[in-house]
Amino acid sequence: MKKSIPKTVLLVIFFVGVAVITLLPLALLFVASLRPGQELMRNGLNFRIDWAHANLDEYRLLFSGNNAYVTWYLNSLKVTVLQVVLSLVLSSFVGYGFAMYEFKGKGFFFLLVLLVMMVPTEVIILPLYKLIIGMHLINTHTGIILPYIVIPMLIFFFRQYLSGIPKDFLDAGRVDGCSEYGIYTRIMLPLMKPAFASMGIYEGMSSWNNFFWPMIVINQNNKITLPVGLQSLLSPYGNNYDILIAGSVFAILPILLLFALFQQYFIEGMTAGGVKG
Amino acid sequence: MKKRLMTTVLAAALVGSAMFGAMPAAASDDGSTQGTNTFVDGGTEMSFWTFQELHVAFWTSMADVWNEQNPDRPINLTVTNGESHSLHTKLLTACEAGEGTPDIADIEIGYYGSFVNKDYLIPINDAVEPYKDDVVMSRVTMYGDRDGNYYGVDFHLGATVAYYNMDIMNEAGIDPADIVTWDDYIEAGKTVLEKTGKPMTAVETNDLFLPQLMMLELGAQYVDEEGNPNLVTDEHIQVIDKIREMIDLGIVIVAPGGGFHTEEWYGFLDQGGVASVLMPLWYMGRFTDYMPDLDQKMGIYQIPVWNEGDVREVLQGGTGTSVIKGTANEQLAKDFLAFAKLSKEGCTYEWNNLGFDPIRTELWDDPEITENPDNKFLKYFLTNPFDILKANGTDLTAPDISGLYSTTYATLVSTTYANAFEISLDTPAADLLQEEQDSIIF
Amino acid sequence: MEKNVPKKKKFSTKFLYSQKIAPYVFISPFVITFVIFFAYSIVNMVIMSFQNVAGAKSTFIGFENYAKILPNAVFRKALRNSIFYTIVSCALMIPIPLVMAAMLNSRHMRAKSFFRSITFIPALTSVVVAGVIFRLMFGELEGSFMNQVIGIFGKEPIVWLRTPLTVWIILFFLCLWRWTGVNMMYYLSGLQQIDSSLYESAAIDGAGTLQTFRYITIPLLKPTTIYVLTISIFGGMAMFSESYMIFNGNKSPNNVGTTLVGMLYRMGFEQGNMGIASAIGVIFLLIVLVVNVIQLFINGTFGRKEK
Repeated sequence: MKKSIPKTVLLVIFFVGVAVITLLPLALLFVASLRPGQELMRNGLNFRIDWAHANLDEYRLLFSGNNAYVTWYLNSLKVTVLQVVLSLVLSSFVGYGFAMYEFKGKGFFFLLVLLVMMVPTEVIILPLYKLIIGMHLINTHTGIILPYIVIPMLIFFFRQYLSGIPKDFLDAGRVDGCSEYGIYTRIMLPLMKPAFASMGIYEGMSSWNNFFWPMIVINQNNKITLPVGLQSLLSPYGNNYDILIAGSVFAILPILLLFALFQQYFIEGMTAGGVKG
Repeated sequence: MKKRLMTTVLAAALVGSAMFGAMPAAASDDGSTQGTNTFVDGGTEMSFWTFQELHVAFWTSMADVWNEQNPDRPINLTVTNGESHSLHTKLLTACEAGEGTPDIADIEIGYYGSFVNKDYLIPINDAVEPYKDDVVMSRVTMYGDRDGNYYGVDFHLGATVAYYNMDIMNEAGIDPADIVTWDDYIEAGKTVLEKTGKPMTAVETNDLFLPQLMMLELGAQYVDEEGNPNLVTDEHIQVIDKIREMIDLGIVIVAPGGGFHTEEWYGFLDQGGVASVLMPLWYMGRFTDYMPDLDQKMGIYQIPVWNEGDVREVLQGGTGTSVIKGTANEQLAKDFLAFAKLSKEGCTYEWNNLGFDPIRTELWDDPEITENPDNKFLKYFLTNPFDILKANGTDLTAPDISGLYSTTYATLVSTTYANAFEISLDTPAADLLQEEQDSIIF
Repeated sequence: MEKNVPKKKKFSTKFLYSQKIAPYVFISPFVITFVIFFAYSIVNMVIMSFQNVAGAKSTFIGFENYAKILPNAVFRKALRNSIFYTIVSCALMIPIPLVMAAMLNSRHMRAKSFFRSITFIPALTSVVVAGVIFRLMFGELEGSFMNQVIGIFGKEPIVWLRTPLTVWIILFFLCLWRWTGVNMMYYLSGLQQIDSSLYESAAIDGAGTLQTFRYITIPLLKPTTIYVLTISIFGGMAMFSESYMIFNGNKSPNNVGTTLVGMLYRMGFEQGNMGIASAIGVIFLLIVLVVNVIQLFINGTFGRKEK
């Protein structure tokens, strides 16, 4: 035991260092949000702050109605909620199909799932954009959501999760007179709650933070989502740093809050597929 | 249950937002991303996009003036503002899609060619006709095609001048009025460097104002007769060699931040980092907005030229406001646009509030404009910019932005000048330009 | 099996209770979106790559788009940038999280879950917020944070965003900052699946910490490593938003930060040249498929060896 004390000290010191480096950029952002954006522009992002003059003016500005920040926030909430609900329901549906049934072409179809998983969406961003134009969904929130309502990664996860559930449940359901879909809604859905929680958080995060695709689909300022809106403030014409900085803090805050409350789901969700893959 | 918890948390976040919303607005009204005029009953709704926050107030004010003068054709205008680069990309993709386009939009000169090329804009010749004799038409026709149609009107004349920091010039003992040619400028620069340790000026790597100015003085353009990229010209080589000569002498530096519209540059210029900057007159607004320390220190003079006797003024930069195809109110949009940009009311507003040199020549001789003691731009600068406009008249060289200018511009401001002035200083200009020319895909 | 179902059944009842039809209904959302959004897009992209795309007036021009793009200096630079970014980010994002996970998992470590959570936090930020912070942190002003830091060591302020070397440092730092926590988490869950008796017997045999790590931990974590490698490769090749944020647009000086996706975006969206952009997309797709084949091959051989 004597020997292990210095080891513990070294390890803890190392991880304290890591923690400092990890939190430092966020701390810089937070400190910057307490002083005028003009100062940031002239002196750069740093920890020099006159605490006597620190204030929440930047945050008040966010919600003063002079800008579209609240609109962007609500757009993001709407897109995220819809995307999470739709993708969870549909992907779990598909995952259930793959996990619980034997059918002709199963291997082929599952190969297709893997194929989509293996191709980064950026590859097909251009034809996808043309397709969304053709469907008259450009500049709509539906256009953001629709191509991503069935997520291969989620299918994969649900299939994995459900394969651990004994098939006896199905037969029991059938004996009770449930239809095949009744089994899914009445028996399986309740069993999948933990999977929904972690995957919902995974999907919610990626949707909330998504930047590239919403930037392409939406043209109008009052329809854009929060990350796209924040990016639009990084402009050399006009000083928008106040909203940019405070808006960035306020974009992370709800996620941090959720993370503090549901940590294990976050970690499960974001690392799903890891070892199992 | 978890779901319910999550909903609760989300709801809490929303309530939080609402509470913030109820707080009194902060005194500053920076960061407005959207603005409207005073809506009137029965007004035609129109949408407008811009990338410059200051333009929002201009357009909404002009809509109010329009409504007063044209009670039979009122407009309810909504102006939205966004980051320049992404806004132009969005506008281009929206035009391509034919959906989600605004009725009217500000299009920055560097991006303009794409919109003309792809036929996304509506010609405004008829709407401009009534104003034709009162304005500098070369500034209008430059936003056009080779068939004689023009599509956009600028906010300003865009006359390029030399802004001198008189503290530095006085310390060096040089009167900027004596600087006529580039050789004079270089000699003065050497003295300034010697006496004050400061560089004479800066060159951008993410934009092209200095080299383009020198090109235009030589009558050279970045695209050829057919509108194809044409980087390898004797004039271009001459310009690059001249700027490199000044870099070697230490009298030209690369602008901090890479350009004249970056935070780093604003701070640097404000602290007296360079003795002069050569930019169009519309840059006055950047001084009044971002350079409080240079108040009463800057003098505006004519730009240096290659040979004594050359016209000491060119047109640079700018924004062509245009009516976008697909608008339901084509004629109204055109008439409003021409009125806002070319009428006496519009040009007066632009000068008074934005510091834009008027495209309408009668204003140059109006003492209420040129000698207005309350004008913040006239107060800020030590010399009167209208003297330069009057001296050089209306026959000015404008950049040719037709054909593939936008594509060419994208290369110039991303690689060409970064290579020429910062990264590959040793590559001969001719070779460098050939490489750049070859890299353009069209 | 069908005995529970009434003999005289309506079509709808038959449909609802048929175990033959059900699986196809279940997977239909995937099949429909696959056909519409994936397959159709790829076919469309391949067609466009052989066209001069101009709305209804598009014409086939053979390999002309490829002939223009392949020798182009900027395209080659973008491709090199993407490959370089991918290789280095894999070289960083595997060993560092692996070692950190092993350290965190050590029985000597205290407050494990606290530190685990902290390192995970950056993954919660969007690329936009992270990009804004890094762009400003690495500003070229004397007062910008990183210039203050190097100022402590007596160094002059650096123009971080216009020097190729420092641009790469920023991009890799950003990548490390955001994803170390997540990759570490993968390794932690991998470590927890390793039978602790293996370590005990190694200890009995007198193996040191490093030896145990080398001969037990690393080999047993291979499935995790392969997974992390896969996502790192795809994340690396698809990199775009990071560069877009750092340079405030798809316009890095002299294309130091232009990537394959950046080039695709520039040609397709900024310059509206759909034919060329599609050709870039097809080349990108081919690279992805080749990487997959190599990946499967290596996986396969490793798999056999282990048996």
